[in-house]
Amino acid sequence: MKDQLEALRLEIERDIKQAGTLEDLDELEIKYLGRKGQLTAMLKGLATVSAEDRPVLGSLANEIKQAGLDLLSKRRTELADSRFASLVDSERADMTEPGNRPAEGHLHLVTQAIREITTIFERIGFYRTRYPEVDWDWYAFESLNMPPEHPARDDWETFFMDAVSSAKQKQGRMVLTPHTSNGQAHELERHEFPVRMLGIGKCYRRQSDATHAPMFHQFEGLYVDQGVNLSHLRGILDYFAEQFFGPGRVSRIRPHHFRFTEPSFEVDISCGVCGATGVVDGKKCKVCKRGWLEIGGAGMVHPNVLKASGVDPKKYSGLAFGWGIERVAMMKEGTQLDDIRILYQNDVRFLKQF
Amino acid sequence: MNLLVSYDWLKEYVGLKQKPEEFAAKISLCGPSVEKILPAAIDLDGIYVGKIITIANHPKADNLKLVDVDLGRATGDERRRVVCGGSNLYEGQIVAVAVPGAKVRWHGEGDLIELQPTEIRGEKSDGMICAAGEIGLGEAFPVKDDHEILDLGKEIPGMRVNPGTPLAQALGLADDVLMDIEVTSNRPDCMGMVGIAREASAILKVPFKYRPASHVPRPASLKKQKRGTSDERRATLNVVIDAKDACSRYIGTRMEGVKVGPSPWWLKRRLLSAGIRPINNLVDITNYVMYETGQPMHVFDADKLAGNTIHVRYAKQGEKMMALDGKTYVLPDSVLVIADEEKPVAIAGVMGGEDTGSGEGTVNIVLEAATFDPVVVRRGSRKILLQSDSQLRFEKGLSQMGPESAMARAIELVKELAGGESAGAPVDVQTKKYKPQSFSIAVDEVNALIGVELKKTHMVEVLKSLGFKVKTVGDKLSAEVPWWRDHDIEAGRDLVEEIARVYGYGKIPAKVPMDIAPRKSDAIIIWEDRIKDLLAGAGYTELYGYSFVSKDLLSKAGFDAQDLLHVQNPLTVELEVMRPSLIPQLLEAVAGNQERSDTLRLFECSNVYLRQGGKKGNWSELPDESPQCVIGYIEHQNDSPWREAKGMVEYIFDSFDIKEVKWKKVSQDDLWHPGRGVQAYKDDFLLATVGEISPKYTEAFKIESRVGAAQLEMRNMIKFAKTHKSYSPPFPYPESKRDLAIVVDQDTEYRDIELAVLRADEKILLVQWFDTYAGKGVTEGKKSLAMHLTIGSAEKTLTSEEIDGVVNNALMACKEKFGAELR
Repeated sequence: MKDQLEALRLEIERDIKQAGTLEDLDELEIKYLGRKGQLTAMLKGLATVSAEDRPVLGSLANEIKQAGLDLLSKRRTELADSRFASLVDSERADMTEPGNRPAEGHLHLVTQAIREITTIFERIGFYRTRYPEVDWDWYAFESLNMPPEHPARDDWETFFMDAVSSAKQKQGRMVLTPHTSNGQAHELERHEFPVRMLGIGKCYRRQSDATHAPMFHQFEGLYVDQGVNLSHLRGILDYFAEQFFGPGRVSRIRPHHFRFTEPSFEVDISCGVCGATGVVDGKKCKVCKRGWLEIGGAGMVHPNVLKASGVDPKKYSGLAFGWGIERVAMMKEGTQLDDIRILYQNDVRFLKQF
Repeated sequence: MNLLVSYDWLKEYVGLKQKPEEFAAKISLCGPSVEKILPAAIDLDGIYVGKIITIANHPKADNLKLVDVDLGRATGDERRRVVCGGSNLYEGQIVAVAVPGAKVRWHGEGDLIELQPTEIRGEKSDGMICAAGEIGLGEAFPVKDDHEILDLGKEIPGMRVNPGTPLAQALGLADDVLMDIEVTSNRPDCMGMVGIAREASAILKVPFKYRPASHVPRPASLKKQKRGTSDERRATLNVVIDAKDACSRYIGTRMEGVKVGPSPWWLKRRLLSAGIRPINNLVDITNYVMYETGQPMHVFDADKLAGNTIHVRYAKQGEKMMALDGKTYVLPDSVLVIADEEKPVAIAGVMGGEDTGSGEGTVNIVLEAATFDPVVVRRGSRKILLQSDSQLRFEKGLSQMGPESAMARAIELVKELAGGESAGAPVDVQTKKYKPQSFSIAVDEVNALIGVELKKTHMVEVLKSLGFKVKTVGDKLSAEVPWWRDHDIEAGRDLVEEIARVYGYGKIPAKVPMDIAPRKSDAIIIWEDRIKDLLAGAGYTELYGYSFVSKDLLSKAGFDAQDLLHVQNPLTVELEVMRPSLIPQLLEAVAGNQERSDTLRLFECSNVYLRQGGKKGNWSELPDESPQCVIGYIEHQNDSPWREAKGMVEYIFDSFDIKEVKWKKVSQDDLWHPGRGVQAYKDDFLLATVGEISPKYTEAFKIESRVGAAQLEMRNMIKFAKTHKSYSPPFPYPESKRDLAIVVDQDTEYRDIELAVLRADEKILLVQWFDTYAGKGVTEGKKSLAMHLTIGSAEKTLTSEEIDGVVNNALMACKEKFGAELR
């Protein structure tokens, strides 16, 4: 009996080692170690051996069973490992083929720029407003200290609407606003102070060439309160320069002329390429004008503008600043469009790049 | 407007010690902006003054000479042999010699070419004797025949330089630079050298050297203008200002016995630096004075004027005039002219007439210095489409004090350069009296606005340096505006700018006025942004179209432009009508892009321009600028793209927690497919129209696929939109999914069935459509609808029998309400 058991042990060991698949192992387990397997069958024969030999043979049989189970488990692990290892060939894919992408949407370049600017100014306490694009002359010009003979009010500069003049006396003709500054009077008329307005909207001018679209977007900041002065304007502009264009970029203001601010300024941002020196490797910087990039206009709100909306210029003062959205977007990205009008041509080959 | 300023010229009027770069940097921050610094106009490297020693015939060519020139020691050897075809060569002649390496333009044409040593018909030539045109001086020294070389000794008499002197140095150009300076529209006084010099003096604190009183003595006769009504003077010149509103001053001076000819080099050089072509000494003088003082002038040939009275009047119906640009202008009656006793002889402030201009043979002249109304000049110039340096100055608004010193200066220069004498006193007519204005401001007011504490004495000093006469009373400054600023300084507030800019804006500290926003941003802007995010996140690409469109585009999409708001002065017919809908441009975008992509997902969020409250007739109120959002979906071979459009709208509603929306058929609007259009309402507010665009219109746009579309009414939508949502906990017991397929009449609508099923048993939590089928296996006139039911209970796990019961309830409800059969 003992010899038979030892023979079985060898047989089990050999078969397990030779098994090539997990299925084979399952079969071997049933064949040798299962309820109806050979070892069980052999154990049934224990009844016929002497009481003396029985415990010895019994423990031998258990030992063989345990060894078999251990072997099975070890062999199973081996086989599984080698199956996973073989996936390298059997299931290899060309991973340089492209992935399946979700449908890709794109916000327009102008929307993206508006958002970025909005976020920057919201952080220092400005709120966004929207005022009419089609507006009365009063808001677009007259209240902004622009007299009737001002060139911007000529037919070749501004779009006028085919409409009758306002029934209200001072409002005048209906125009497509040439700037977002018309929002100043609308906002001031509310007489809610402080004013910290950020007006972003569409504007229209009678110009159409590679650098001018007849419709464009402007951005208008207006801050009116008691004690607003030039140092606040300098602070806001420097803050914007750094936030929008990046660390180390600063602003400067130069004298300029607008009717609705006094004094008025042109705003420059230091060039990021030459660091405001105007020189790169001993040569003239190609990006900027002598170290600076013109970005837009600014100024201290003209007392006549405050008066026009019934605000007392002795009590309140204000500052205003604004520029073209398209222009700053391009300045930042270095997106040099050959023709700015492509922004409004709805060509998906263009739109999908942003 | 920009001014080209020769730094060398500028130094005549102000004691500048600064390098041009330093000057530019400082001036730009406090005054007019220097945009560019350019080398003095002409590249004269490698070109020297030479003296012809001998001239010999070329052995093989009759037209060429062998010329030996003395070049001093400039290029190593004193003598140089060149072959030259000049027609005006003579021994001892002072000429311009280019040596190999110099850049020249052959015969004044084509590109610049670098000169090389060469052989011409067998004779060595080691350089070139230049014609003026070959070295960029053609405008300065016009030639009579093409073979004339530049005779420096003759053109610039008295030029004393040694052979070998670089030509640039001999011409006084070597150390000069040109600055391109931007002058803002309020500062026409800076449209002349004197104005720039005055700014430089105040900003850089250097002496201002221009002194009109002593430098340009005022002719005695000018002071006697008021009494000048004698017969004798009448005989020489009369001035009548008919259009008193348009001309505040006219000074005319008759001069006799002048000699027309080229200007001397110093004058030519100044004009060339300013980008002005020298013409003759008389014209050059008027241009020079304009460039010096900012006051435009004109010179007439007195003998070509009919009569001796000059009128300033508006043009008469049908009058024409050939201007100095050689073109004939028909003059509308809004254009101001200078006329003799018969005809217009100049377009006032814009350009003189060709027939009465000075030229060869002119002996007697009338000089004009006047002040014309800026608006009249601007509108007149725009009307006839003619611009000039003069008009660009007048339209900014010039002082009526300007003509005095300009005229005095011009008379002085004519006497010096063209001989001649004034015939009688200048005639000076003014239609209104000039009185300088004064404004005051308190020191505190200035400092409050600048944000820096400046001293009163500092303020006074700055204003004085700019020409203001300043008085102080206690804390108040009172400043009399100098005449050259009289269109610019309008109030005490304007003095703040003068003080602050000269102090230096860069020295003002920067303080960010940070605070909490005093109110919220407009809701519509916030919601538009949220919807844009959803759309872009779902794969839609954002469009931006012009707010004005063509009538054609509108009619292609079924809109009648008649009653819409029009631009009165559109740039083109393409940009004429304010859009009442975003859909026409959406269709245009689909048509334009359909071949670029199999699937297009597009949207635009913008205002449209509608009538307020259904008015008709003339537009007399502002349009309602109504915010809209449209989306469009096309997919090649998708025969129901409305599903994508509707799905997107449903997704937006869900995202913003807009519930219990009622869907109704689109009535009336034929833009939408008659069988595929639906509108979403909530509490009687229209939220959206969804469906497919009618083939009637997609075909008009030549769109090859069906177009799924939706138009969201933003204002109504945001009444109900929310970003915060309530939470209902999921049931703790498992939910089951069952499918239900029923057969109903074709025209039974799914939405009704869905609602009936939901109401049939509270354990039905969700009904999801997944298929509609009609055709083989389904009775004609019927359709099969299949849906997934989600079934569950908050109290327990449902048994299979219970679930079957729920499904049966659903089926029974459908049978009862719609006569449905189980499929």
